[in-house]
Amino acid sequence: MEKDNLENQPNRRNFLKIGLIAGGSIAAGTFAISKILTQDKKTESGIKKTVFTQDGKVFTADQSHLHDYEAPPVSNEEARKGIPNKKFVMVIDEAKCDGCKKCTDACQAMHYTESDREWIKVFKMQDANATAPYFFPKPCFHCDNPPCTKVCPVNATFKRQDGIVLIDNERCIGCRSCMVACPYSTRFFNWSHPKEQPGLADIAYSPERSIPRRMGTVEKCDFCPDMIRQGKMPACVSSCPMDAIYFGDQNEDAVTNGSGVTVKFSQLIEDNAGYRHLEELGTDPRVYYLPPKNRKYPKPDMDAVGKEKNEKKPMDMGDMQMSK
Amino acid sequence: MVNEKYNLKNEIETVREDCLKPTRRWGRSTRIWIGCLLIVISWGLYCYIHQLRAGLGVTAMRNYVSWGLYISTFVFFIGISHSGTLVSAILRITKQEWRRPITRSAELLTWVSLLFGGIMPIIDLGRPDRIANLVIFGRIQSPLMWDIISICTYFVGSSVFLFLPMIPDMALCRDRLSVCDTRFKKFRKWLYTKMAIGWKGTKSQWHRLEKSMTIMTIIIIPVAVSVHTVVSYIFAMTLRPGWNSTVFGPYFVAGALYSGSAGVILGMAAFRKLYHLEKYITPRHFDLMGRLVLALTLIYAYLNLNEYWIPAYKMATAEGHLLRDLFSGSYSTVFWTLQFGTVLLPIIILSIPKGRRPLMLAITCIIIVAGAWVKRYIIVVPTLLHPFMPIQEVPNDWSSYFPNYVEFSITAACLAGIFLVITLFSKLFPMMAVWEVEEGILIEHDKQAAIELRLKREAEEAKTNGEHSGTGTEPIVQPT
Amino acid sequence: MKINSIIRKTSFTIAITGLFCGISAAQDQLQSQSKSEATIELSYYKKADMSKTAVAVVKTKDKEGKFVFAKNTRVNFYVMHDKEQQLLKNTNTDYKGQALIVFQKDLPLDDSLYFTIVAKIENDNLYEDAQEQVHYKDVNLGINLNPQDTARLVTAKVTEIGKDGKGIPVKGAEVKFCVQRLFGIMPASDDNTVTTDEKGEASFAFPKNIPGDTAGVITVAARMEDNEQFGNVENKANASWGIALVKEKNPFPRALWEPYAPVPLILTVSILFGGVWCVYFFIFFQLRKIKKEGQITINNSTL
Repeated sequence: MEKDNLENQPNRRNFLKIGLIAGGSIAAGTFAISKILTQDKKTESGIKKTVFTQDGKVFTADQSHLHDYEAPPVSNEEARKGIPNKKFVMVIDEAKCDGCKKCTDACQAMHYTESDREWIKVFKMQDANATAPYFFPKPCFHCDNPPCTKVCPVNATFKRQDGIVLIDNERCIGCRSCMVACPYSTRFFNWSHPKEQPGLADIAYSPERSIPRRMGTVEKCDFCPDMIRQGKMPACVSSCPMDAIYFGDQNEDAVTNGSGVTVKFSQLIEDNAGYRHLEELGTDPRVYYLPPKNRKYPKPDMDAVGKEKNEKKPMDMGDMQMSK
Repeated sequence: MVNEKYNLKNEIETVREDCLKPTRRWGRSTRIWIGCLLIVISWGLYCYIHQLRAGLGVTAMRNYVSWGLYISTFVFFIGISHSGTLVSAILRITKQEWRRPITRSAELLTWVSLLFGGIMPIIDLGRPDRIANLVIFGRIQSPLMWDIISICTYFVGSSVFLFLPMIPDMALCRDRLSVCDTRFKKFRKWLYTKMAIGWKGTKSQWHRLEKSMTIMTIIIIPVAVSVHTVVSYIFAMTLRPGWNSTVFGPYFVAGALYSGSAGVILGMAAFRKLYHLEKYITPRHFDLMGRLVLALTLIYAYLNLNEYWIPAYKMATAEGHLLRDLFSGSYSTVFWTLQFGTVLLPIIILSIPKGRRPLMLAITCIIIVAGAWVKRYIIVVPTLLHPFMPIQEVPNDWSSYFPNYVEFSITAACLAGIFLVITLFSKLFPMMAVWEVEEGILIEHDKQAAIELRLKREAEEAKTNGEHSGTGTEPIVQPT
Repeated sequence: MKINSIIRKTSFTIAITGLFCGISAAQDQLQSQSKSEATIELSYYKKADMSKTAVAVVKTKDKEGKFVFAKNTRVNFYVMHDKEQQLLKNTNTDYKGQALIVFQKDLPLDDSLYFTIVAKIENDNLYEDAQEQVHYKDVNLGINLNPQDTARLVTAKVTEIGKDGKGIPVKGAEVKFCVQRLFGIMPASDDNTVTTDEKGEASFAFPKNIPGDTAGVITVAARMEDNEQFGNVENKANASWGIALVKEKNPFPRALWEPYAPVPLILTVSILFGGVWCVYFFIFFQLRKIKKEGQITINNSTL
């Protein structure tokens, strides 16, 4: 009997050990699986909210199931039609631009864009050896005779009645005809999977926001129509510290700069001999430039202009979020 | 007379046997060749799947050079597809008898290069899953849409143009199948029967066939011209320096004809060697095709000169940058090699009769075809590297371009695909239009018989005349 | 032995404490060394809807000596109440260095009916303490016009609010007449500033050439900018004095860049390629006939 007990003891111990381990792991596994399965199911808050869908239908849902989008996008038809009775125009004063690229930074922060994709790009230009060098911020010109829109085979890029040219990335097939047609190198292509960024997934896609981006489609400066609908100006305009960029409605003959100073558009162009870039191409751009006469800030150093990008610190994305 | 008839029948029989022999053998070298092609194709397919999953970023294309090797190859393949139109249609219309042995291979080359040429833009798309948008939301103002319409039209046209002359040959194959030993007999029986569409060689059927072929011959020429013209429009309708040219349409068509006819010669030479068709594709054919290529190269050289000399004289700002790069910059070696090596040199070689001998001509045509491919690349890429806005402060890989292994692999797979389809076709169907060659022989025979008859009669008349008058003029007798 | 160990322990403790003190002192010094100077610009606005806001713009100098906006800086807003500062609210500045506060209740006034707003930066990690204050009286800016007036005359009346709530006309205040545009307020003309007379009124004739909306309506604004006593005050009213905007008859005409193509293009492409396809269908028809004739021959031969 004693022998029996002694022999069985290690077996019992082993059995207990195995049993404990097995039981523990089963419990842990079940716990983990249940956590995973219920991860999506938030605990119901019990508060019901009534919501309107984009096509006017009503439904109620628990608050925990409703996702807080940053701003409701307009429908695709509305985005294609544009804001009626407006013709947006931008004026950039080369005499005031000091090449700081805050416009580029603000645009990239607002659209969660990678730093090499400059929807508004500040060039250092010198048209000929003896002419004045100047900084040249170039957004998309939203031309009235747009070469890009003409060649798109599926109407994925379109011109609205308010003058803005947008891209519908749910329709674009990625043929890049528009990219080769644009003479101003304004368009960028999503060659690979777009980078995952916090906050980007919460945004519903609309051509007016141009985000979240889709692989294999084209993107460019969009004059921030979603901000215009909220009565705000595009990110580049309001973030220029030199107030070099003006934006407004040509029908109203008024343009406003980042500090809120509003001037008569026709007067501004006339007094400062405003012009358009590469006018002879006939694309009829909506962005006017004021020549760099009596420039406020030093001219660009043309000898230091390189083809390659300088190392740039990534912009803090938290700065330029649209207010909720 | 009976002897002659027997000889004629023998000749026709030989023609048929010679044409059908290759379709029966499936030798070791063929299998190795097809195996190699399949390896290239499967590697290309693997690269394409990689490209589909990871995006076009796996190629070397970036935001400035957004069209690279794929589009250049697309233009090149569409160019090659003008071969059949030229040889088959134009030579048919002008009733050139010597075209007979080479029409099938020319039409086949057209059809296959159109097939793979049409695939290239799809490979180049960023979102091929949305290709249905082209049909649902298509805009007729877009040059790409004109491309699609005209390539589809030309593809259907060239399929018909390839198929029509094959019908009598399909009937021949179908009828001869039981008396020879080949592989895949059941499949072949089905195939030949289906493709022969009940051909019996009746008078009315021949009449319909001839009428259809005449109509197709006429209509395929403007379709082919329109195809390469609209392919040139995807470049010429933009404002870019180097592309903003009014002569692009004729320039591309001339380039297509010249590279296409060189492609035909390569096909001719290959099949002549591999399938022992030396009796039918004679050095005379090479000489005549060589003259044709010479004429087309001269036209192409003329348009080429216009395309570069006119902007070079002016050196307007944007064009100036581009031309400086082509003439004396990073593309100068390639550019001048192309102009002297693949345009001027072939002109010189083809001008001398020795240069139009089969081997010499084949080598020259390889130079022409390879040169045409590189020329398309030179048309597409340097312009994209010289936009109006300066390339400033961008990532390294944006400001230069050379295709990487993905692009080369996929392009090589398409080329291998062309070779594969041609090889399989030549193993199933005769590579010469048997009935056309027979027709040629008959016509030749009839001509000879007619000449002999005429000479006989003239000799008899001379005899009787001489008996009666005594003197009289000696008839001029041409020795046969 | 014991004494030795006690001495050892004590000296060890002293050493450690000293080390900590030293480190924290050094940190303090470092912190105080790294704080930079910040300036606050404080402005006060009274809008057309009678709302009162104060905006503080915080700027600092960067390494190159250029002024940049200070983002995410806590600004505390106080009002003076009985000679004491009362904390109203604290907000952080946005990307343009602006911190905004809207006053919900009436501001406490001192004996001379002035209110004082103070904006302070206190105990900030990056910036030294700074403050700025403004000191204004409450005023009413009335705007009077006839929306259909062909003479386009607008009169602004400036009355300060007296002790018993009575309005006292203000003489000599500069009033600027502007028009509301989409993103900002634009001066109506080059000489749009009028000084109020004894009655506190300033009149201005609006120019003819101002574009309005589709009904010809514009929003006329009268403002006092950076007035010493009153700050920034504004009032607006609608008038049908603008040039009516002619609506585009067809915002999406047929064109090469529009969704609908010009008719000649459609016709040309259809005729050219339609013609070719008609020929193709004729050929297909011929092929069918060939096939049928082949079957007839078979039938004939079997008969």
